[in-house]
Amino acid sequence: MFRHTPFRYATLALLAALAVLYTLNAEYFGLELVAEIAVLAILVLALDMVAGFGGMVSLCHGALMGIGAYAYALLTTAGGLTAPVGMLGAIAITAAFAWVIGAICSRSHGIYFIMATLAMGQMAYSYVFEAPIFGGDDGLSGISRLDLSLIGLDLNDGRSFAFFCLVMLGLAYGFSALVLSSGLGRSLSGVMHSEQRMRALGACVWRVKADMFGVSGGIAGLAGVLAAQHVMFVSPGLLAWTVSGEALVVVILGGLGTLVGPLVGAVAFIMLKHEISDMTSYWHLVVGLILIAVVMSGANGIFGWIESQVERWRPRRAAMTDEEIRKREVLSDA
Amino acid sequence: MLETRKLCKSFGAIDVTKSVSIKLERGERRVILGPNGAGKTTLFNQLVGELRPDSGEIHLAGEDVTALPVAARTRRGLSRSYQKNTLFDGLTVEENLSLAAAVATGHESSMWVDSLTRPDVREIVQEVANQVNLMPYLHAKVSAVSYGVRRQLEVGVALATRPLVLLMDEPTSGVGPEMSKGFHDLLNNLPRDLTLLIIEHDMDLAFDVADTITVLNYGEVVFDGEPEAARGSSLLKEIYLGSWEDA
Ligand SMILES: Nc1ncnc2c1ncn2[C@@H]1O[C@H](COP(=O)(O)OP(=O)(O)OP(=O)(O)O)[C@@H](O)[C@H]1O
Ligand SMILES: [Mg+2]
Repeated sequence: MFRHTPFRYATLALLAALAVLYTLNAEYFGLELVAEIAVLAILVLALDMVAGFGGMVSLCHGALMGIGAYAYALLTTAGGLTAPVGMLGAIAITAAFAWVIGAICSRSHGIYFIMATLAMGQMAYSYVFEAPIFGGDDGLSGISRLDLSLIGLDLNDGRSFAFFCLVMLGLAYGFSALVLSSGLGRSLSGVMHSEQRMRALGACVWRVKADMFGVSGGIAGLAGVLAAQHVMFVSPGLLAWTVSGEALVVVILGGLGTLVGPLVGAVAFIMLKHEISDMTSYWHLVVGLILIAVVMSGANGIFGWIESQVERWRPRRAAMTDEEIRKREVLSDA
Repeated sequence: MLETRKLCKSFGAIDVTKSVSIKLERGERRVILGPNGAGKTTLFNQLVGELRPDSGEIHLAGEDVTALPVAARTRRGLSRSYQKNTLFDGLTVEENLSLAAAVATGHESSMWVDSLTRPDVREIVQEVANQVNLMPYLHAKVSAVSYGVRRQLEVGVALATRPLVLLMDEPTSGVGPEMSKGFHDLLNNLPRDLTLLIIEHDMDLAFDVADTITVLNYGEVVFDGEPEAARGSSLLKEIYLGSWEDA
């Protein structure tokens, strides 16, 4: 079940401080990196919500992000809507798509769920690729960023846009944490541990899954909106299943089911990608080796590993075993 | 309160439930006896909706629920505990009880309110934890507590849905005599208007707590009546004690 611990709060504060400092001092290339990390971080937050807290390992989150990006592009260009309305509309549309996917796939588990979501994502991909309204292979261009001149910000400036993405990431994190700590989030945790018992308790299991998948999809849609605003252009590649696969890699690299871990994973992944691709074009190979090392170590990703090391140094109270409890009782009886 | 009418179920060639008709009044405490494989658990599975009967009807509080899914029956006041523990193993004892109480109080799908911290949920958790003696273990993970404690939790989770009818499938199976006695006390402390249907192998306990007894053998009801009558029944001795002694 999702919980904030002092260590998690500390990690969040550290990440936020580093992000602000870096963004204040970065040059053009560094600011691009910040935006890229923020978009990926929002996407993997969305994925961790369902995969880490509901056991729904989705291979369609890349496609959901793509739907968000295209929806924003179409609503604000062909649709003629203003950017804020377009953003909200795109998020709502993606959430609705995700809810339907979640409802349809709610009956399948494990590898079948993965395949079902993969199929959904591929359907979206090929539709976007083929239908003329989406511009086919060429994608859509002429997308504009949100206009914040009202509060004196020009998002066409790299630094302002990077900060804007960070704020959106902060909001997405807060929202995810809120929903995971809600009745719905708790029920999802129950569904992950025993669907049978959850049903026997009177919960509507498919609704719990679909609702959370919808929320997660909305957040993935936000990632898409920001991706579209970032490069001011969308192409079908956004919906490719490899994007979903990469997001899953980042979640596992950071720490599945920790919500904070995927943020760490996103930073590590983008940084590695850029540092190593400077040195060798085989950067995927290096990332692959690191992922294997992380998985083989038995730890729950980078963050999970650090957290378990920290836990060791603190006396544990929450997770007392039966024996420990009995010993305590004996002691207090004496 | 709970009634079956000519319930039938077969797995292939084996009839596991043969035209079972039983009727429980409100507040009645009935024990189901029967040798291994008699079809007791299968009957429970049909009562709660995990298994569809081939024919026959199930009525709960005057309503035909035969076609309703599991969750809908639970929301109408039917709850069960399992013969084989079916708990949320990765969670704590408190979280297990809270999930049940959250559904009972309607907070299970709220997107903004944390069901675990709701006063009405916490109240149920405290009450049930006291009833089934789980207070010392609330913060322990299910995977870290002993089998006996998990057995208590199994009943606790079922109770935390605030049922009108509670079905318990061998609640004391595999635990020592001391816990069996504790279970006895638990039953005595449950509200008298709660309708109970208990599958039990321990004859003494069965005769002690039961208002009525149903004996199943090869899927068939072979006895239905008061414990006193059952005690004297040679049929029951033959079927139940016979196979018991064989084992
Ligand atoms: N899903 C199933 N498919 C096929 N046969 C089944 C199934 N479930 C139960 N059975 C068979 O039905 C019969 C009754 O099983 P059931 O579990 O209801 O017995 P029981 O009275 O609960 O026994 P016990 O005292 O051992 O718990 C057994 O012969 C069992 O093998
Ligand atoms: Mg049984």
